[in-house]
Amino acid sequence: MKRLIAGEFSKLATTRLWCWLLIASMGISALYAGLNIGFADNTVTYSLATPQGQQTLFSVAASAAAPLAAVLGAIGLTGEFRHRTATATFLASPNRGRVVAAKFVTYGAVGAGYGVVSTAVVAALATTWLPAKGIEISLTGNGLPATMIGGVAAVAIYGLIGVGLGALLRDQVATVVGMLIYLYVVENIITGIPALSGWTIYLPGQAANALTGMALTTRDFLPAWHGGLLLAGYGIMFAVAGNYLTMRRDIA
Amino acid sequence: MTDRPVRIELAGLTKAYGGIRVVEELTFTAEPGTITAFLGPNGAGKTTAFRMLLGLVRPDAGRATIGGRRYADLPEPATEVGAVLETTGFHPARTGRNHLRTYCRMNGLALERADEVLDLVGLRDAARRAVRGYSLGMRQRLGLAHALLGDPRVLILDEPANGLDPEGIVWLRSLLRELAAHGRTILVSSHVLSEVQQLVDRAVIITGGRCVYEGALADLAGEPDGLEAAFIAKTSGRAIAP
Repeated sequence: MKRLIAGEFSKLATTRLWCWLLIASMGISALYAGLNIGFADNTVTYSLATPQGQQTLFSVAASAAAPLAAVLGAIGLTGEFRHRTATATFLASPNRGRVVAAKFVTYGAVGAGYGVVSTAVVAALATTWLPAKGIEISLTGNGLPATMIGGVAAVAIYGLIGVGLGALLRDQVATVVGMLIYLYVVENIITGIPALSGWTIYLPGQAANALTGMALTTRDFLPAWHGGLLLAGYGIMFAVAGNYLTMRRDIA
Repeated sequence: MTDRPVRIELAGLTKAYGGIRVVEELTFTAEPGTITAFLGPNGAGKTTAFRMLLGLVRPDAGRATIGGRRYADLPEPATEVGAVLETTGFHPARTGRNHLRTYCRMNGLALERADEVLDLVGLRDAARRAVRGYSLGMRQRLGLAHALLGDPRVLILDEPANGLDPEGIVWLRSLLRELAAHGRTILVSSHVLSEVQQLVDRAVIITGGRCVYEGALADLAGEPDGLEAAFIAKTSGRAIAP
């Protein structure tokens, strides 16, 4: 198992996709946070002087990094089929479930890394820009540690979800496009229907919001722990289903 | 590589896709220290048979073993079996050397092996270039380097001469002869007879997924109209005219 994980990190490090997506994640985090701070005087969102406002500000790191970590995980798995390296990989490890498990560990760890770096970008902006606007900010206060840890966890788990969904669908375009359409379109529509709010809190995006304590809206979320477990459950469910339904198929 | 000889055995191997039997009751063996040609026209089932032998495709019936064990049951597959398959891919943005080093890690082999096999196949100068810039012949050499990473006792090569220039084919021939002389079991598929004629000791000919000949290549070449005619006669199912 250690070898397979080392192999996965090597695959990742020897192409540049991880680097571009990390830069994108940092850029989007900076953009979200910058807009949030720059237009802090409006009345639509919570004031950045309040705990909710600061938590929302810090949760943008996860909002930026999580989909990108999921894309990286999805490409990490489906790329084996797209570039037909699956043959070499399954010759090295005829037990295909172990390959999926190694990718789970790898992309979970890389996702956590994305979360940490993106959170650091937001923290750097917040701690330099907010005092200049006369707003006090402490990284250890206002529930921010929980938001940051929850955010990093959410990004890590999105990495797993990407791997799991990739294992289930195997097709790279279908996995990446399907995932993004779901996250940015489908889930927003479903959660916008008030009558469904009793169960939409169990959807992946809402479970992630539960983890970060994102408070842009007045919607209810699950407790953070439940959200995290639920989100991880989605990733594991996809991976296990993929392992039994598609990964065992013939490699032709 | 240790000296323990390893035999490849296929017994009653059968696979159907969509009701069509691609490989049917295929039975033959490949012996240590020899190069066995696996011949047949395009679509005869050679690649599918190889993929079943390597655990990539699940047979409907029958058994394929390497040294008495199924590929999936080998504890260290890379040190036992090296394979070049037509469809083995490389990530276009990864360099040849990094590809090999990645699979050194996955197979628990020393990273230095990557440079050793690159030298062996003559790819040293291209080692640090992305694979997308490789010619078909260079990809074949990289595939062969990959197969040799674990210094395996068994080599399974699907159309390894594809894309090689005449010089490359001569080089491949001498490399495989040397590898076999050290007791390795080599099974090499081809649809081009002339490629293997001067290389192999034994031949297995299949057509329509069935084995139609297994034996010494010399016996086949001894038939009245020569090897080529014998091959065509066998694979088209007709007797050779006297």
